[in-house]
Amino acid sequence: MPSIRSFTPHTLLRLLPVTFALSAALFTASVHANDVDEVNQLLKAGKQAQALTKVEQSLTTKPRDPQLRFLKGVIQTEMGKPQDAIGTFTKLTEEYPELPEPYNNLAVLHASGGQFDKARAALEMAIRTNPSYSTAHENLGDIYANLASQAYSKALQLGGSSSTLQPKLTLIRELFTPGSKGVNPSAAKPVATAPASPTVVAPVPPIATAPAVKPAAPVATAPATTTPASALPAAVVASDKDIEQAVQAWAKAWSSKDMNAYLGSYAKNFDTPKNQARKTWEDERRDRIMGKSRISVKVSDLVTKTNGNTAVVKFRQSYDADALSTSSRKTLELNKVGDRWLIAKETTGG
Amino acid sequence: MNCFRNSSATALLASSAVCCAVLFAPNAWAQSSKITILSSGKNKNVAQRKIDLQAEAKLLHIYQLIGKGQNRLALAESELLLKAQPNFQLAQLVHGDLLSSFVRPVNSQGDLPKSMPIASSATSTNSATSAALNELREESLQRLKALRERPPANTVPSQFLALSERNKHAIAVDASRSRLYLFENTSNGAKLIADYYISVGRLGVEKSTEGDQRTPLGVYYITGTLSPTSLVDFYGVGALPINYPNPLDLKRGKTGSGIWLHGTPSEQFSRAPKASDGCVVLANPDLNHILTSVRSRTTPVVIADRLNWVSKTTLDADKAKFNATLTAWRQAKVQSDTAKLMAFYTPDFSNYGKNLTQWSTILTSELNKLKGRDIALTNINMMRWSDQNDTMVVTFDEVIVGKQTGVTKRQYWIRDGKNWKIFFEGII
Repeated sequence: MPSIRSFTPHTLLRLLPVTFALSAALFTASVHANDVDEVNQLLKAGKQAQALTKVEQSLTTKPRDPQLRFLKGVIQTEMGKPQDAIGTFTKLTEEYPELPEPYNNLAVLHASGGQFDKARAALEMAIRTNPSYSTAHENLGDIYANLASQAYSKALQLGGSSSTLQPKLTLIRELFTPGSKGVNPSAAKPVATAPASPTVVAPVPPIATAPAVKPAAPVATAPATTTPASALPAAVVASDKDIEQAVQAWAKAWSSKDMNAYLGSYAKNFDTPKNQARKTWEDERRDRIMGKSRISVKVSDLVTKTNGNTAVVKFRQSYDADALSTSSRKTLELNKVGDRWLIAKETTGG
Repeated sequence: MNCFRNSSATALLASSAVCCAVLFAPNAWAQSSKITILSSGKNKNVAQRKIDLQAEAKLLHIYQLIGKGQNRLALAESELLLKAQPNFQLAQLVHGDLLSSFVRPVNSQGDLPKSMPIASSATSTNSATSAALNELREESLQRLKALRERPPANTVPSQFLALSERNKHAIAVDASRSRLYLFENTSNGAKLIADYYISVGRLGVEKSTEGDQRTPLGVYYITGTLSPTSLVDFYGVGALPINYPNPLDLKRGKTGSGIWLHGTPSEQFSRAPKASDGCVVLANPDLNHILTSVRSRTTPVVIADRLNWVSKTTLDADKAKFNATLTAWRQAKVQSDTAKLMAFYTPDFSNYGKNLTQWSTILTSELNKLKGRDIALTNINMMRWSDQNDTMVVTFDEVIVGKQTGVTKRQYWIRDGKNWKIFFEGII
């Protein structure tokens, strides 16, 4: 049984700050947004005890509020109270089974306690809830890889945890990914166009020495586009081509683990997830990307909307790396800087 | 001593690499999906046998699901199997592959992740791991082979010339398939009722000398039962010693002892195809079934490198031929014709250490006691063993006509051209 890992939560996903619009759509009181912001500020400042006090105080008036309760779970996790956090997230999954985030965080907690089977079950629920939830996919990939290592160790009687790796799971720090933006949690629906599970690789029959099996092609079910390219002026179309090239170059840099080119695809004013410092975000990306032995990122079904020097590109991203093979929706906001299109914002889902 | 151990099991478990990497037939997989599980028959032990067959049958079912690309279902099945048999290492390996298949391509059985390098460096740990992996692949192959290539219907191993009413069961081991076949002796002759994966000696078969880590080949009989309470955990649920070295082995100067059929240690569901010091090792549930059904001293155990399955009618002709020889021997005895009777014995004859001259004296006194009364040979068990020699192991009750009981004797015959001669005879 691996030792309990101290939490250093990464936030890989692009998480929207809880905007006024979002909270207004979710909950009527604007006070709520202030509460959440305040707790987030305290958390960011490392004042967990105060954050907890604040959350509990807010919960006295809104005891069922999922956002506040979710934050409470995150605080409990960071304060090293996994059992309390598990309780908080479990209750959330029971009352809001349509939210993937509490499942994800439950999985992180179970995994850190060495309970990979429970972690796996929770992640599978998260993905059932939101099939394009890439953090859960990535986490599940890590869990599968870990369970596989355990099974191999038992098979070969390697004993102990010598070959068991502690998965690096990602804890979600805020509720509601952009995919569920503006959607009342109780009405949230899984994204129907995304594949229901990680791409399943048909394994070679165990006893055959067959050639390498490629992952099955991701289910390409692009949603109907709203703006046919042909309706756009010629100049814009030409510009679209540049934008598309920029996106392809970004995917290529990511695939080839060319960190300079990859990070260079992002604008100076790139809206880092969780308002992380640019440096922190870059380090995290470097860790994530360089830690893989093989990455393949393919983009397809691009739909580009241009407005002067800004553009929004929506596409399907097929990501295939050591521990994960998934296909999800992605949105990049690009700004034209000089003659280059650089990424200003990156969101997953939707 | 080959099987008896009083030291801890670990030394033996860290077995040396004897199995080389196996190249699997590319079409083996497709064939495996056509496997049908051996029917268990229709008697009262069906339920028990189903339980016994479960682990392997479940593994096979998992393979079939993988063959159909239904990895999700296969994974659910492997989880269930491992819940029941967590120490089934091969199932763990398949489980690892199934889990891995959701995150990366799996290119071979036991396709370990890069984080578990086994072949890249030459450290002793890695080569041990590599050997263990190869052994599991070999086990997988052997299990599939035995299940794919079933004995033809209405056939028995060619050694089973005649089973006696006293033989409620008979056992045949095919080392090349890592398989033990269990037969029930019915009114229709030997009927295959179950078969199990087994392990043999680390260095294979054809034992000849003490400590050669090989499993003997020949016709043997179970000589008793050892309960698990008298054994260390290494032997699992019990052991059935066999009579190695038998008179043929002794005639050939073979040495060694303590060849058993036994179970597996609690931390291992099954062992590699070639893993023992010469014993035949079965999974505990399988051995348990044998322990509860077979009788010691009457159950023949044929151990062959490769069993030859023949129709019962083929054997009937051979059986009739040899019966004539046996009748001639009996008649010589009834006629008290010492010269004629002694002609049945080889110059190197032995009876538990007594030579032909001593045997002649014994026979003469036996004939004097018989006083020409007729004798009947009943409950005849005939087992034929052919390698560089053609031999016959005959066990029967010799009863003086009119008496209720007689003595049980065993003879070892060897064929010299057209003539069969006895090189061992004794009461058992």
